Amino acid sequence: MNPTDNTPGNHNANGDGATKPGFHNTDGQGIAGHGSFFQETNLSREEAVKATDWVRKHVDRRTVDLGDRMDDIREHMWELEREGEIIVHRITDAHKPMTVRTLFGWEKKIPTNQLWHHKSCGQCGNIPGYPTSLLWTMNQLGMQPGRDYLDETDQTSCTAWNYHGSGIGNVESLAAVFLRNFHQAYISGKQHGFDAGHFFPLVHCGTSFGNYKEIRKYLIESAELREKVKKILGKLGRLVDGKLVIPEEIVHYSEWVHVMRNRIASELQKIDVSNIRVTAHVACHYYKMVHEDAVYDADVLGGNRTAIITSVAQALGAQVIDYSTWYDCCGFGFRHIISEREFTRSFTMDRKIRVAREEANADVMLANDTGCVTTMDKNQWIGKTHEQNFQVPIMADIQFAALACGADPFKIVQLQWHASPCEDLVEKMGISWSETKKRFQEYLKEVEQGNIEYLYNPELAYGGAQ
Amino acid sequence: MANYAEMQQIFDDIRSDFRYDHELNGCLNCGVCTATCPSAHFYDYSPREIVQLLWTENVEQIYDAMQEKIWACAQCMTCAARCPFKNSPGGLVAIMREVAIARGLQSAKDVLRPFGRVMLKLITTGNQLSPDMIQPDHFPDWGPNIQKVEGDLKVLRKAIPVKTLQTVDTAWEVSLKTSVEMYTIWEMTGVLKSLEMMDENLFDVIEDFIDEKKEDYEDWLEEQDED
Repeated sequence: MNPTDNTPGNHNANGDGATKPGFHNTDGQGIAGHGSFFQETNLSREEAVKATDWVRKHVDRRTVDLGDRMDDIREHMWELEREGEIIVHRITDAHKPMTVRTLFGWEKKIPTNQLWHHKSCGQCGNIPGYPTSLLWTMNQLGMQPGRDYLDETDQTSCTAWNYHGSGIGNVESLAAVFLRNFHQAYISGKQHGFDAGHFFPLVHCGTSFGNYKEIRKYLIESAELREKVKKILGKLGRLVDGKLVIPEEIVHYSEWVHVMRNRIASELQKIDVSNIRVTAHVACHYYKMVHEDAVYDADVLGGNRTAIITSVAQALGAQVIDYSTWYDCCGFGFRHIISEREFTRSFTMDRKIRVAREEANADVMLANDTGCVTTMDKNQWIGKTHEQNFQVPIMADIQFAALACGADPFKIVQLQWHASPCEDLVEKMGISWSETKKRFQEYLKEVEQGNIEYLYNPELAYGGAQ
Repeated sequence: MANYAEMQQIFDDIRSDFRYDHELNGCLNCGVCTATCPSAHFYDYSPREIVQLLWTENVEQIYDAMQEKIWACAQCMTCAARCPFKNSPGGLVAIMREVAIARGLQSAKDVLRPFGRVMLKLITTGNQLSPDMIQPDHFPDWGPNIQKVEGDLKVLRKAIPVKTLQTVDTAWEVSLKTSVEMYTIWEMTGVLKSLEMMDENLFDVIEDFIDEKKEDYEDWLEEQDED
C-alpha cells in the first residue's frame, strides 16, 4: 500500500506530496522505524550517513553540552578576573561567611555580616513584614545598621517580574540592571567611611535571585554580552577601573536564615513552637533556576530536597509536615496573577492550599519568595465561591522565625497586610491577636503625630551616618 | 497571518538568540516537562510540544504556538529542573515571547494589554507593585480581608519601621538618580522601542514621565552646582 496524506502516522507530507518544512525524512512514507509504516529505505551507506548527519550533529552537541553544564561557572568567573576582564566582589573574612553545600556538593559561601539589602518590589509593596522581620532579626543578633548592614534608596528592582510576565526586556537590559545594582552594592560602603566591597548584596526576592544567577552565567559565558553592557555601565559611570563588577556569590536572604538558624533558635527564640504544624513551599526560582547553586544539606530532608525553609522550621522546633505537591509551583505566573487570575487562584487552591490543609493539616505554610506568599495568601477567600472552604495562614520563613523570637505581629511582622488567617497561627503560638492589634491601633495614633519607631536611623537610607 | 517566508524569519530570530543552544539539547518526548507544568493543567499548552516544534523546526506550528500558547507558560521553570536533556522549555518560551514582541505580533499586543498598568509602574519607577495598586477595588477577588487593620494607607505605611518602605506609590523609595540610570538602560537596550511597538499610547505616557523625571534630575544637579 502506498501511503497517502490520510495514512495514519504520515504527518510529513503536504497535500501535493512534498515534505513539509521542518521534517527531515524524505519519502512521505511515515516515520521510519515506527509501527506498520516501517519500510526499508534502500539507501546506500553514504546516502544513509548523509540523511542522518543532522541527528549525529545534535546528539554529539548534546553530549558535549551536558559535560559543559557540570562546570562550575564560578571557576570561569575567576579566570575572567585573572585575564583582567572583570572584578569579582569578594566575600572576605569580614563578611563572616559560613560554608554550605549545593546540589552537586559544591561549596557556597554565605556572608553573614556587612550585607547590602537588595529589596524585593513585591515584598516591599505587598508583604512589608518580610523585610522588616529580616532587619529586626539582624538587630536582635547584634548587627549594627550602617556598619553590619545597609538599606538604601539607590537600587531598582531586578525587573525580572516584568520580563517573565511580558517578554518586554531582554538579556541586555536584565544584565545592565544586575550590574548597576551590584556595582552600587560594591561601592555603597564608601559614603559610610568603608572601603569598596564592604557591603555584600543579600537578595530578598526569589525571582531576582534566580534571574541574577542566570544573568551572571550568561555574562561569564558571553564576551559579546559583556561588551554590550560595558558600554551601558560605562555611560552610567558604573565600571571600576574600566571593568564590570560581578559578585563572588549570589546570595538569597533565605540562605542567610538557613546558616543563622541555630543562632536564631538558641539566642533569640522565646516561644515554643513544637505544637505548630509547618508546611514548606520553596520558590521555584530559588531551586529550579540555575539549580546547581541551591543549598542542600544531608541533615535536612535527607539531602534530597533543598534545605531552605525546612531547616529553620526544624531548628525552631516546629513539626515540619510533608505533603504530596511539595515540588509544585504556587501558580503565580508573573502575568497570570495580574491578568489571568482564574489560573493563579485555581492552581494555588487546588495544588497547594487544599493539599496543605487536607493532607498535612498545616497551621502555616512558609515560603521564601515574594510571588509565592502573595499568591497563596491572597487567593484563598475567592475559593469560597467554589465551596473550597479551607484556609491556611501564609507567611515567609523569616516572619515565622521573628514571631517565635517575640517580634510584635503588627509592628514588626506586619501581618496586617496578609489576607490569609494569620491570626489563627498567632493565637496558637500563645500571642493574643486582639490585644496586640489594639496596641498597634494605639500606635497608629502616635504615627499620625509623627512619633515613628525605626529599625535603623532613617538618614542611613540616604547615605547619612549612623 | 504571516506567509511562510515570514514564519521562517521568525524561527530564524528565535534560533539565533545566543541562549537557544543552552535551552534546547534534544528531546525524548518523555513528557516529564508537561506532567509537572502548572499551565498544562489549565491551558492548551504543553512544554513538550514547544520543544518538539522547535526541535523539528516546524516553522508553521511554531508560528501558531506563538499566538497564544507561549503566553500560557507561568515561567516557573519546573520543566527545566526536570528535563533529562537539560532543556529549558520555559527559557525557550521566554525567547519566543521576546521575538513575538520584536516582530509586533498582534496576539502579543492583545495578551499584554491588561498588563499595561504593571508595565507603566515598572518602567517608570523600577518597582513592579506598589501599595496603592493593592486595593480592594483593584483585586475584588482577594476578598474584604485584604488587610487586617483599617486605616489611611499613608499612615499604615508610615507604621512600617523601615524608612525606605514608607511609600505609597512605589514599593520602596527609589532615588531620582537611580531612576534616571534605569531610564538610560531602557533606552540603550531597546526596551522602550519594544514598548512603543506593543502599545503606542502607553509608550507616550511613559515617555512624558521619563522626560519629566530627567528634567527634575537636571534641575537637581544644577542646584547641587550652585550650592
